[in-house]
Order: sequence, then structure tokens, then C-alpha cells
Amino acid sequence: MKCRRCRGPAVIDIRRHNAAFCRDCFLHHCREQVKRAIKDHQMIAPGDRVLVAVSGGKDSLALWDLLTDLEIEADGLYLGLGIGDYSDESGRHTREFAAARGRRLIEVDLRDDYGFDVPEAAAVTRRAPCGACGLSKRHLFNEVAHREGYDAVATGHNLDDEAAVLLGNVLRWETGYLGRQAPVLPAAPGFVRKVKPLIRLGEREMAAYCVLTGIDYQVDECPMAAGNRHLGLKEVLDGLEERSAGAKAAFLFGFYDRGREHFLDGAAEEREGLAPCPECGSPTTGTLCAFCTLRNRATGVEIPVELRVGPSPPTPVGRLPGDG
Amino acid sequence: MKVLLRNPRREIEVVGPITVVKLLQRLDINPETVLVIQGDTLVTRDARLADTDDIEIRPVTSGG
Repeated sequence: MKCRRCRGPAVIDIRRHNAAFCRDCFLHHCREQVKRAIKDHQMIAPGDRVLVAVSGGKDSLALWDLLTDLEIEADGLYLGLGIGDYSDESGRHTREFAAARGRRLIEVDLRDDYGFDVPEAAAVTRRAPCGACGLSKRHLFNEVAHREGYDAVATGHNLDDEAAVLLGNVLRWETGYLGRQAPVLPAAPGFVRKVKPLIRLGEREMAAYCVLTGIDYQVDECPMAAGNRHLGLKEVLDGLEERSAGAKAAFLFGFYDRGREHFLDGAAEEREGLAPCPECGSPTTGTLCAFCTLRNRATGVEIPVELRVGPSPPTPVGRLPGDG
Repeated sequence: MKVLLRNPRREIEVVGPITVVKLLQRLDINPETVLVIQGDTLVTRDARLADTDDIEIRPVTSGG
């Protein structure tokens, strides 16, 4: 195959674009897709300070690299989840990346700073570990960005991630989550703006970006994610994509353009019901926010009767600003 | 050729020459879910792999 831009030998083909690229033209393609996502959705304004949620995986490290390359002031936040060797390796990749580029890396450790880790939270709550992990990440990314005065939190959610979340939300008709699934969640009292600059790039492209730029990332899958629902949804979408190139992009971008507007009412109603969590101050729709509830259960703290909430909500699959 | 697979990490032998698309078909792997790395270079679906090549088939799907 030949590169679509320069006609040199290609190193990667992207079927949904009916194109192949050489190394340099592919990196140009990635930068252009991120620039377009940022511009189209007004994600980041000139002079904004951005906090990148970094896991040590391909998406977040590529995102940090791309934002830095675009001369956006972007620091990193790494959350230690306590998942054995996997977390040790992920942290190492992240620290080495930050050190090599001279970028500021903020580290938060669930065990050291909050008294529990993901495996323990999953065992105590008898829920899937991915639920406790996602909840902790959403809460702490927002809390740290708010405390440190950043204008936006950028996450490495790519086209495949967002299409899988969308499929999950549609299969259960989660109207509140559908109303909140967007490339940008604007700032609101207690919430820092959240942006997803990789939504125009698939995860195959992100892995290729890392290989071609020499970014050393955590290749192995999280041992706690094996067989989870999100992977099952991606498998379905990958099957569709192989039969019909562009299916995932059409599904996701069609939703942004013509679908999401039909679900905005439910999301607005939920946001009106937010109040500060009495323990941490984060906005929540419950009496105590979901993160403080999780932390108290995982660390064995007795929750006063007046602060107890009802039955646990279902495992969230969307980005949940009301999740605390 | 030696072919490195991941999750779990293992190495298998495949007789070459063979194209990338045929190799993935033979291993029942959806090309949308992996990168194929020949030595230290990414290769496209139509690339021809020699019997002496070291190949890595790297999954790209993350669980959340």
C-alpha cells in the first residue's frame, strides 16, 4: 500500500478513511484529527491549563504527547489503583514518559491517600472492580483538577471507547447517560470541564501512534478488566466494523449530530438535583457522594444513619458528572 | 516465522511466506483489533511476511 498523502510506502491502513499512511503522514493525520476535535467542540481555549488523566496506557500517553506537541499547557495526573504488578508497571511507564519530556506529573495513590485500593473496594462491595475503578477515577480527576486550578481535565477516551459506551447506554436505554455522553462536559459549580480530544481516532490508531513515536506504554490488559462488559461491547462493534468499515464512526458521530439532542432533558433534571457531599464537598445527587460511600465501605467506616443512601446505583457506563 | 501473541503472552511458529491478512485469517484474529509489527516496523494488511521474520501481533483493545 502507498501513503495517501505522499505516495511513499505505507505503514498503517485505516479502512474507515479508505486510506493508508507512511509514518510522518500518519502522525500528521493524528495531530489534525485532534486539532479538529478540539476546534469543532471548543474543548480547549488558548491559554487553558489542562490536566491529562494518565494511566500509562496507549491512549492517555498519546494524548499527553499530542497536546504537548500542539503547544497546549498539559500536565499529567496518575492515579495509583493498587492492582499489583499491573499498577507498578503502569506507573513506571507514566513516570518515565513525564521525566523524558520534563512535564509535571501529579500522583495520587488510592491506598496511601484514601486508605483503600480497587481490589479491596471490589471485594468489600461485591461489585465488579471496573465500577469502583471508574468511580474513583472520575471523582479524583475532578477533585484534583478543581483543587489545582486547571481549566479542563482531558481523558484518553477514543472513538472505540465512546462507541462502546454509547452501545451500552442504548442497549439499556439509559436516557440520563445518553444526555450526558458528549465530547465535552462543560464546567459547572464543583465540576471542571471534561474533554475527550481523541474521539476522532480509533484505538488501533492510538496504539500505532505510540509504536511509531517510540512511546513505551503498558501493552498488557488490566487483569481486573478481563471479560468485562465494555470489552464485550467492543467485540461486537469490531465485528461490525470488519464487515462495514466506518460503522463505529457513523454510529458515534451520528449520535452526537442527531441523537443526543433528544436526551438532554433527563440530564438537565439530574444536574438540578445536585448538592455538596457533606464529607468531601463534591456535587452529588445522593446524601453522601458515591466516592465517599465507596471509601467508607472499603475502609470499614460506620456511616451515620442520616447519611446512608439507598440501594447502590447500577454500575455506570457513561461519564457521570453527578457521580461525585 | 516466530509470531508473538499477547494476552496471554505466547509465541507460535507459522510457515511463511504469507501476507498479513492471510496470517490473521489463519489465527482467526479480526484485523481491526491488532497491529502487526515486523521486526520494529508496522506493516499494512497487504504486506508479505518472510519465513525468517520475527512478527508481533499486538492487541489494541482496552477494557475501559
